[in-house]
Amino acid sequence: MTISRTSILTAALATAMPVVASAEDLITRNRVGPPDAENSLTFRLTAFDLYSADDATAEAFRALFTDFINDNPGWRIDTQLQTGAIAQEQARIVEQARAGRGPDCAMIDSSQLATFKEAGLLAPMTPFFTDDEIDDLFPFVRDGVTDADGDVVAWWWFTDLRVLYRDTTLVPDAPQTWADLQEAAAQVAETGLEGVLFNAGRDEASAFDWLGHFWAQGGELVDEDGRPVFFEGENRDKFLAAVAFYADLVDSGAAPRRVTALASYDDLLASAAAGSTGMFIGGNWMYAQIRNTLDADAAANWAVSPLPGPTPDERATGTGGWAIAALSDDPAKVEMCAGIARLYAGPGNAFQRLLPTSASLYAEYEEFAGPEFQIFAEALEDGQARPGVPIYPEISNQIQILLGNVLSGSATPEDALDAAAAEVMDAFERM
Amino acid sequence: MTDTATRPIADAPPRTTGARGGVAARLASGPLPWLLPAVAMLGLFYLYPVIEAVRLAFTDARLFDTETAFSMRSVSSLAGSSTLGTILRNTLSYTVASVVGQIALGLAIALLVVRAERARLRGTLVLRTIVLAAWVIPAIANGIIWQLLFSEAPFGAINSALRMAGVAPVAWLSDPGNAMLSAVIATIWQGTAYSMILLYAALKTIDTALYEAAAIDAARPWERFWFITLPHLRPALLVNAILILIMTLNMFDTILALTGGGPGRATEILSLYAYGTVFQNFELGRGAALSMLLLVISLTLTALLTLLLPQERR
Repeated sequence: MTISRTSILTAALATAMPVVASAEDLITRNRVGPPDAENSLTFRLTAFDLYSADDATAEAFRALFTDFINDNPGWRIDTQLQTGAIAQEQARIVEQARAGRGPDCAMIDSSQLATFKEAGLLAPMTPFFTDDEIDDLFPFVRDGVTDADGDVVAWWWFTDLRVLYRDTTLVPDAPQTWADLQEAAAQVAETGLEGVLFNAGRDEASAFDWLGHFWAQGGELVDEDGRPVFFEGENRDKFLAAVAFYADLVDSGAAPRRVTALASYDDLLASAAAGSTGMFIGGNWMYAQIRNTLDADAAANWAVSPLPGPTPDERATGTGGWAIAALSDDPAKVEMCAGIARLYAGPGNAFQRLLPTSASLYAEYEEFAGPEFQIFAEALEDGQARPGVPIYPEISNQIQILLGNVLSGSATPEDALDAAAAEVMDAFERM
Repeated sequence: MTDTATRPIADAPPRTTGARGGVAARLASGPLPWLLPAVAMLGLFYLYPVIEAVRLAFTDARLFDTETAFSMRSVSSLAGSSTLGTILRNTLSYTVASVVGQIALGLAIALLVVRAERARLRGTLVLRTIVLAAWVIPAIANGIIWQLLFSEAPFGAINSALRMAGVAPVAWLSDPGNAMLSAVIATIWQGTAYSMILLYAALKTIDTALYEAAAIDAARPWERFWFITLPHLRPALLVNAILILIMTLNMFDTILALTGGGPGRATEILSLYAYGTVFQNFELGRGAALSMLLLVISLTLTALLTLLLPQERR
């Protein structure tokens, strides 16, 4: 008896259909798992993975979540999407949690972790992670997710950092110091292109990208008690030196004055794609974006290096990322939330090539074997997270205003710093 | 004195006896039952939030604090704030320029459309549709569209066109002075359609016999506009001004997407400042106080404009 190819295909499809249908039924726009599961957990997530507009990413996370829910029979995850208005969304989670209507599990921007911890809304997750897993977290990550009682109250599942991108046809060698960067950018600007770009508009990205230059000198935004100190003593000199670095870039023409209107990494990527800039300060995730956006030859010209410092030995870079935390008192739900966090931190990160927060994960997944991850891992050694204090949003806001005023020529660095200090202290005293 | 003063009206309903019956009947026969659902809905969805905002303005509430206390701190912190002066100046220049621009441009387009219709020209419907298309675009998208147009990158749309015309590029968003102008242009572009529709409707109500009489009297176009059109448009212009004023004062999403309030605070207006106070700094009490200030400004300006309306239109 012979079996035709059509018959084999038909049989294969017939066998596969129930599986496909089952996977499709398991994941919908607002649910993971069977609708009639006896246990449910609400999970508020961003739109960059399970519900990503990128089909490949969404498909990969559907497979991960299907495995996860199959490993946890009897459970259903009710998914809730966050919009891109991060501050507003995070505030909404807090408000709802306080009213008893918050999600059981949620993605939290690392810059907001301190606020959530201070509000006492996060459930301890320590029992659901091993000591080895906790010890393997980078120190700044471990500090960020640990509360005053020593409990792990969130799992920081990926981190990011700021680096310098350069077109190697224009800037062959990575600038090591601020002076190197200015010189290289000035040479590019002489060719009619923009020397170096960076965010200096009204957005958290502007403040955070710039803070690496302040931290590289050992500057501190707040003291041990959380009181702002960036404007006094040695910190003042370091702050003004970092502002002067940006101001000199603009005043010398090494950077265009339009940086005061840049408040999005997309604008930087657009300039790189257009070939109109020699360098820019961006996030590590832009390495993959450059490869995906530019043609292969043009993308190959772009290289990445750690942010230059005032001297080659003084370096720092801001590290951000997202955490997953439980806001439920039910231990079973907290355990499920920890499981979701583990899913994102391991295979989820590997697929998206986001930077893991544990050293061992770099060796565990071959996706992190690329040369760029070697550079990122080295830069992470100089990583510095934002201070976990409630006054940080206002400090960031005032740095954004200060950069705009100084770089547009509306104020001197000293006057702008005095004004920022006054505003921050007013806000601090209102707390 | 005639007996008509005391004579019962033949068609009047019979009076019920007893005080309670009388009150109930008066209530039942009055407009209250009809108005009650609307009053209840307005009270629930409009008045209550305003009352709650007033209450919050006199507390030290923060978004993440569970306990709040009544306090004058939020209000007093604004009284001594030098930043608020800058914000109010920005708000004044942005609002005045945007409102005047929207009315002037809306009136110009409405006049053009009416004139074209009278001349039986084709394309007036297309013109009205194009103008209205800007109005249906969400404000946040409007800000993003203009951010792309105003981009100062070498490939920015408007600056590229200027370069092709031999004109030096303009620092639309990075120069503090130009940034406010850019925000006003983006707002006018979107809001003009609203004015155009209101004024177009008002223009259509003006009796054409007036223009015919003026033409017989050899009145020049500007005289017809000044002595016929404008006086007849006055109520519509004032109503338009009131509505646009309120919308512009409350507008923050276009500027949020366009400049974020920068560079520095160059384009930060009161509504955006209140938004940032609540959702970035989490100061609920202070944000509520700023919202109250915005409400007072809106009500005051609306009252002033209402006084200019003809008596029968108020």
